[in-house]
Formats: sequence, structure tokens, C-alpha cells
Amino acid sequence: MAKFISYTLCITFLLCFPLIMHGSDILPYDYKIEELENGLKVISIPLNNPHIISYYTIVRSGSRNEIEPGKSGFAHFFEHMMFKGTKNIPRETYDDFLTELGAGTNGYTTDDYTCYFIVFAGRDNLETVVKTEADRFINLYYDEAMIKTEASVIEGEYYSSVSSPGRRLSELLRYTAFEKHSYKHTTLGYLEDILDMPNQFEYSQLYKKRFYAPDYSILLVAGDFDHDQLMEYVRKYYGNWEKSNYTLVTPEEPPQTKAKRAHYDWSSPTLARISIGFHGPTYSDEKIDKAALDLLAEIAFSRSSPLYQKLVIDEQKCRTLSASFADRRDPYLLVFNATVKKDKDLSYVENEIFKELEKLKNEPVSEEVLADVKSNGKYSFANSLGTTDGVASSLAFYINLATDPGTVNKLFALYEKVTPQGIQEITKKYFKKTNSTVVTLTGGKAK
Amino acid sequence: MRKNIKYHLSIIFFLGMSFMITSCAKETPGKLSSELLPLEGNPLVSFRILLHVGSVNDPEGKEGLCQLTFSMLASGGSKNLAYKEISKKFYPMATSVGLQVEKEMSVFTGSVHVDNLEEYYTIIKDMLLDPGFREEDFIRIKTNLLNFLEKSLVSTNDEQFGKEILNLMMYEGHPYGHHDAGSIESVKGLTLDDVQAFYKEHFVQGNITIGLAGGYPSAFPLKVTGDFSVLPEGQTPHLTLPEQRMPEGLEIVIADKKTPATAISMGFPVPISKADDDFFSLWIAVSHFGEHRQHLSLLFQKIREERGQNYGDYAYADHFIQGRRKFPTQNYCRQQQFFSIWIRPLANSNRHFVIRQALRELKKLVQEGIPRERFELTRKYLLNYTKLYAQTLGERLGWQMDSTYYGYKDVLAEVQERLPKITLDAVNQAIKKYLNFNNLYIAIITEDAESLKDALVSNTPSPITYANPNMPKEILEEDLVIQTFPLDVLPEKVRIAPASEYFKKMGIPRTN
Repeated sequence: MAKFISYTLCITFLLCFPLIMHGSDILPYDYKIEELENGLKVISIPLNNPHIISYYTIVRSGSRNEIEPGKSGFAHFFEHMMFKGTKNIPRETYDDFLTELGAGTNGYTTDDYTCYFIVFAGRDNLETVVKTEADRFINLYYDEAMIKTEASVIEGEYYSSVSSPGRRLSELLRYTAFEKHSYKHTTLGYLEDILDMPNQFEYSQLYKKRFYAPDYSILLVAGDFDHDQLMEYVRKYYGNWEKSNYTLVTPEEPPQTKAKRAHYDWSSPTLARISIGFHGPTYSDEKIDKAALDLLAEIAFSRSSPLYQKLVIDEQKCRTLSASFADRRDPYLLVFNATVKKDKDLSYVENEIFKELEKLKNEPVSEEVLADVKSNGKYSFANSLGTTDGVASSLAFYINLATDPGTVNKLFALYEKVTPQGIQEITKKYFKKTNSTVVTLTGGKAK
Repeated sequence: MRKNIKYHLSIIFFLGMSFMITSCAKETPGKLSSELLPLEGNPLVSFRILLHVGSVNDPEGKEGLCQLTFSMLASGGSKNLAYKEISKKFYPMATSVGLQVEKEMSVFTGSVHVDNLEEYYTIIKDMLLDPGFREEDFIRIKTNLLNFLEKSLVSTNDEQFGKEILNLMMYEGHPYGHHDAGSIESVKGLTLDDVQAFYKEHFVQGNITIGLAGGYPSAFPLKVTGDFSVLPEGQTPHLTLPEQRMPEGLEIVIADKKTPATAISMGFPVPISKADDDFFSLWIAVSHFGEHRQHLSLLFQKIREERGQNYGDYAYADHFIQGRRKFPTQNYCRQQQFFSIWIRPLANSNRHFVIRQALRELKKLVQEGIPRERFELTRKYLLNYTKLYAQTLGERLGWQMDSTYYGYKDVLAEVQERLPKITLDAVNQAIKKYLNFNNLYIAIITEDAESLKDALVSNTPSPITYANPNMPKEILEEDLVIQTFPLDVLPEKVRIAPASEYFKKMGIPRTN
């Protein structure tokens, strides 16, 4: 099994990963998956870099799960409440524990999941971490007053981002493109819902019961530990966590039948912005659609693409141009973004993006370009695995999607199967004008 | 899964204690120096081509020239390849050239898989040593710089805007006293000839440290230094900076704009840096007071956790730029440093209260020092947390280069060595010696600036209300003290200008 390259005495974070271009799997590490009787899945990736352990708890609930009116932003709000402690380990004790550990720790909320991580040194600390985290997830305690105070913090977080026009445009795109699905709102939620959070104590208890349960959660542990030892701790401390048995049914988004458009006037000077979204497929490591679209995004809109070179480098109409085809558990948007130097060029840039998509429908891309894109994908992913926490943070996203890190190997195998003809077909399938939503933003005059 | 020696994990030193890692910062005046971190078997190679040149070297009236010149290297073509060709060649390797420009230091960064080392290096060598200086690149990059100053800096991120105003205030009339990107006026006047002249003057051997880390072949550093030796010998004369000006009382600058939230940054210069013994004591004190984005921060506890005022509140013992996760970024070294407090945006209605609260906490810190249990907790925290600072290859190399700048073999190892020996008394003495609560620069982005000025000058009580009807009694009692906490703000020490006036010209805009 693993062998040390040198016999040294201290700790490191760097991993020596393989020359990625010569294997069949992109993921170079062994991993194990076990499931407790209560449905808690444990994925362990022992790595032989001494001392460092990344401990991730992935709760498969994000803003996607906010299906009721008035509850947008609740997954993110609840993430904040998860730091309030328990009767066994009050917040101050929990904070002091992490402080003494000197751990890198935080939580984040996405559309599909909420993630909590602790990166720390010393396998001797593993049992305490497992015990403390298990207690937090099983016995979280807060009262109505704590909800009200934390709601103000969320309002403050909203204010931290309120001066970002890019964020506003993203909100507008989702709001306009989606009719029914909860992807209509961002993880931060609508301001009116944020302002109502102080009154949501009862709903927060319901939310916890539904989603903060073993059947909605996955533990991902990477680093310097023994798998059997980890499992012993996990069974001991998480074994009595009760299942939720709740079934989430997200609203089905009806097919879009006509093009949509919206505009936002920003109150102060800023570069003009445009986002164009098309409804796309869900993440899959079996169906080729999303894999082909991922490659298309790179071919047509990466920094080396002809359109980027034209609009950003040669004509200099745009400051930035990119495509973002995010992977989600339900069908999401395929988005093209540009910041445009002059307001008057917005329609030109919009036309150029549509023209590029038409071109991709009519002309197959070259094999050489496709090979470059595949190469970029492999090296980019391999670069993300350079440290213990890089492994854990990169895989957390895919584990949320498929509950198994092996999905990454299947995904990259799918990429290999994508052909120029496949790209052409997929462009025809998804990039219809009637399936598009165009949102724009322009700046105002200085005060 | 597959098993292969190449898959296995190396044990490499973190604290620079390994015999395996060769650190060789060599420096001969006027000639190249290098900083090497060879890690045999590592499949990546990280580059940090560091220049001891920064925005302080901008000629008067040509502020932003260093940023523009180095951007022409990092984001422009070489003589051999146009920028678009470079982009195409970088793409399959999933790599690029990064750039950060600061007051006294600039660095070109890159990372590449060893498979592609030769091709990557050939390209970046030409970009840096044989730049194309094409007119079309110049127009594109200069326009981007102007767009940043005109349309991004003051209207898309008030938190950063506040920090930049604080810098303008602290260093008025000082070589640090302009934005690294210059002003709209100065950048408009820059020409391609200026860029080429700046490159010729400053891109010389004695200004450059070649930083390499990772699994490069053993002969590679010699090749790189050999290639860079085509540059002329010599170096930019060491800049003797004027003394930093301490604020006299509370000096306030307000940028007025329509906004629902107020952003606040405050601080003052300190005469020490990581190079000084006292810094390690001050580091403990400021970590206790406001560790960046950690629950440990006292300000965070008092303002956010207890009262829910905003997203976070922090303090820094020196210039801090957040990098990966929440850790500090490297290669922002400078001769002169400052202490600062960052109050993240909060409802306009509570701005006066929170300014009072932050200053009151600072006063308590200076007057009362740190309680022993907090001292012990913070020291333990820093001893463990700083072990996480250097995780990636680039970070390790960056810290190694910063260590050399500050005169250490390894500044993070220095933390492990020194902190256990620091006493509570030393920390409290450092607080008394370097921190104060009466003389601060305060930068504020808010709306209806005049009413804030009036309230500050007249010490109007600033009560706040809570959504929570059951706030703890001790907090409400403390609020009664905070809401009337006296601040000695003189009207002539408050300057107000519309947000849109900033960065048009050098310095702080003339006031109403």
C-alpha cells in the first residue's frame, strides 16, 4: 500500500498525486463507503500525509429544499443556527474547542446541499471531533431569542453583498427563468423572506426534523486516520441519530415555451452586464447530455475560444465572457455571462453569443479543440487534489450529487466518449431561442 | 483501486525542518536571487517570480504605471506569441500567469504539471523577458484598468472601497498614498512608452527573486537563472520611506452614496512588522481582539454574535489580504505596517452605535489588556492554526519567500518557537505600546453622510433596537453605556465627498 517517499519527521499538506494522463480513473485514491443502520453514509479516504484530517458533514439540503413560499434562504439561515451549540456542549464551549484545536472550520450553503467542515491536525483529536460533531447534529439546541438575533446577522450578510451588481443579475436571471422550481431564488433568499426570519422559530424546528437527519447526511473524512477506528467512533456517537423518513418533492419546472427578458437599472456607475440562461439537464454520470454540454461550454466560451478572443481580446467589447453550466440535482440553467464595456454594445454581444450557438449547431468542432478541452479538464481536476483538504472539498460537491466519489471517474469516462457530432446534437437540443432568458444590467449616473 | 507508487503520498515537511527541502535564498546586490523548494516526486511545479518593485515606484503623476506595466507582461503577448496564442497554448495545460502588485512587492505566479513544464516555462520566459508591448494589448489592459477605477472600485464592493479609503487616509502625501491601480487621471495619461521605460528601469536582475517549488528536474533552477541573467544587472535604489503619520484624534472620511448599508474600516500605522520581536506579542493581542473570520474574535462576538449587527468584525496587526479559505495571502511584504479594524456592512440606522462599540472595545483592550484565560486560549489557537497556513505548493513557496523578507528561515516555525515563551505581561505591554483608542483614521461608506457627521460631532445618543424582544439583560445594560459612549470628533476632522469622486484624481477628494 502507500509508501513514504522519504522518512521525515514533520507534517505536510501536500499530496503526491499521479501523472493523471495515464490511468483510466481520474481519482487516484482508495476510498471506502459504509452506511449505518440509521442511513448515515460514511465515506472515508485515508491519506498517508501525517496528521491532517478534513472532516466534512454534507447535509443534502440547500435552497432547492426551500419549496414553501416565504421560506427562501432558510437552508442558509439554518447553517448559521448550527453553530449555536447544544445543552451538552454550549456554543461557547464548542467555539473554545475549535479554537484550541486551531482548526480551519466553517460551513457553506449551496443550491443543493449544506456543508460543514473541520480541518485539523492530529489523529489523536479524531474521536473528540467525531463526538463533538455528532452531538451538534443530533442535539442542536437554540431558543426563539437566538433565532431572532441570528436573523439580524443574515440581514447583515445580505448587506455585505448588496453592492455587487453581479449578484443582483444572478438573482434576476433565476427569478425570471424559473416559474415553479425552488432554483428560482438564490441561497441567500429574497430580502422580504430574510426580514421575516425572526418569526420562523417553529418552521426552523420542522426544517431540522426534515433534513438534519442521518438519511439526509453524509460524512466525508479524508486524511491521516484509520478507517476501522473512524467507523468505531462514528457508530458510537452517531448511532442513535434518528432518521427523518421525509420525502422531498421539488416542484417540477414546466418546459419554457417562449423567450424571456428582464433588465435591472443599477443606481451607480458600473460596467454593463448580460446573462443568458437556457434550461438544461440535471447532473448525470450516465447520460451523456450534461457531459457534452460541459465540454461545449469550454469549447465555445473559455479564454482560448474564438468568441472570447474576438469579444475580449480583439474587439475589446467585453471585459469578461464566460459560460457556467453548473451541476445540480434537478435540471438547472446553462448560463452565459459577459461584462460589457459600453452599454450600447449589449445587444451586439447578445447577438454574438446566439450566433456562436447557431454556428455550433451547423459546424462540428475540431477533434483537436475537443482534445484540448478534455486535457484542460483533467489537469484542472488533478490540480484541485493537491492537498488533503483539496481532496475533501473537491469531492464534497460530487458526493452531494451522487453520494459516491466514484461518480467522478464515471463522469470523466463520459467526457472521453463525447464526439464533435455529439456536441453538435446537444447544441441543437438545448439552445433554442424559446428556451432562453436574457437579463441585462446597466449602471446609472454617479451621485 | 489502482495501486502505484506514484499515487502514494509524500511526507514533506511543513515547518521547513526537513533535510529534504533546500531553501536557498541567495542575494548579491544587483544580481538575481532565488528561492527554491524542491519536492522530488511532486507532479506540480509552482512559480513565483517576485519583484521588489511596486506601486511606490510609480513616478509622480504616473500612478498606476507599475500595475499597468506588469499587467502587460502577465496579460499581454510576448514578441514570439500574441496574447491570444498564449491563451490557446495555456488552455490544454489548465494553467495561466497570475499577478499581484502591491506597494513594494509584485509577483508573477503560475503552477503547472511537470508533464508540461518545458512548454509552460518557454512561454512565460518569453512573456517576462521578451515582452511584445503591442499597442492592442496596451489599449485593452489600460481600458480594463480605467474601468476598474471608474466603474468597479466605488460601486461594486463597498467593503473593499472602505479599505482603500483607509489606505488613502493613512498615507496622504506618502509613497503608499495612492491606489496600486493609480487614479483615473493618472492612468489616462499613461503611454506605451511609459510602460516600456518602466520595464527597462525596473525589470533588472537585482530586483528579481526566482521562486520555484515542486517536482522540477534538479537542473531546472540553473536553467531559469541562466535565462533571466540576460536581464541587465542592477536594482532599483532602496526606498527610504518617510515616517508614517499618526492621526491626530479621530480623523474621519465619509464617502457618500445611496446604499442601505454602511461599511467601516479604521486603523492607524504601527512601527513594527513580522521582522520585530514585539510583533509576535501584538499578534496574540490582535488575534484575541479580532481574528479574521473566526469565532475567537472578540469584536465578532460582541457585534455579531451577541447583537446580530452584521456578518463579521475583525482586526489585523498588519496588512492582511485573504487568500484560499480564510488564510492570509503571501508576498504582500512592506516596510511599514498598520493596525486596522474591519466592520462589515450593517444597517445605516446602527452605524453610529457600532462605531462607538468598536472604539469602546478598543479602549477596553488598551486600558485593561487581555484576561489570562483569553491569552492562553489565543496563544494555543495561533500555535495550531498557523500550521494550516501553508498547505498548497504555492503557499509554501510564498511563505518561504516572506520568511526571507522578514529575516527568518521560516517565519511559521518562528511562531512555534516564540509563542510558547511569550508572557501575558509582554502581550499587554505590546498593546500599551502600539495600540491606542484616541487617534484613529476612520473610513466610512454610507448614505446621508451629513447626518452621520452631525451625530458624531454632537455625540448624539445612538440607541438601537432588536428583533429579539428577550435580549439578555446584560447586553441591554451594556448598550445603554455604548449608545452614549463619548467620541471626541471635531467637525473639521470629518471630510465628506460623494463616492463617485474617489480615485478620479490622486488623494482624498476635496470636501464640501
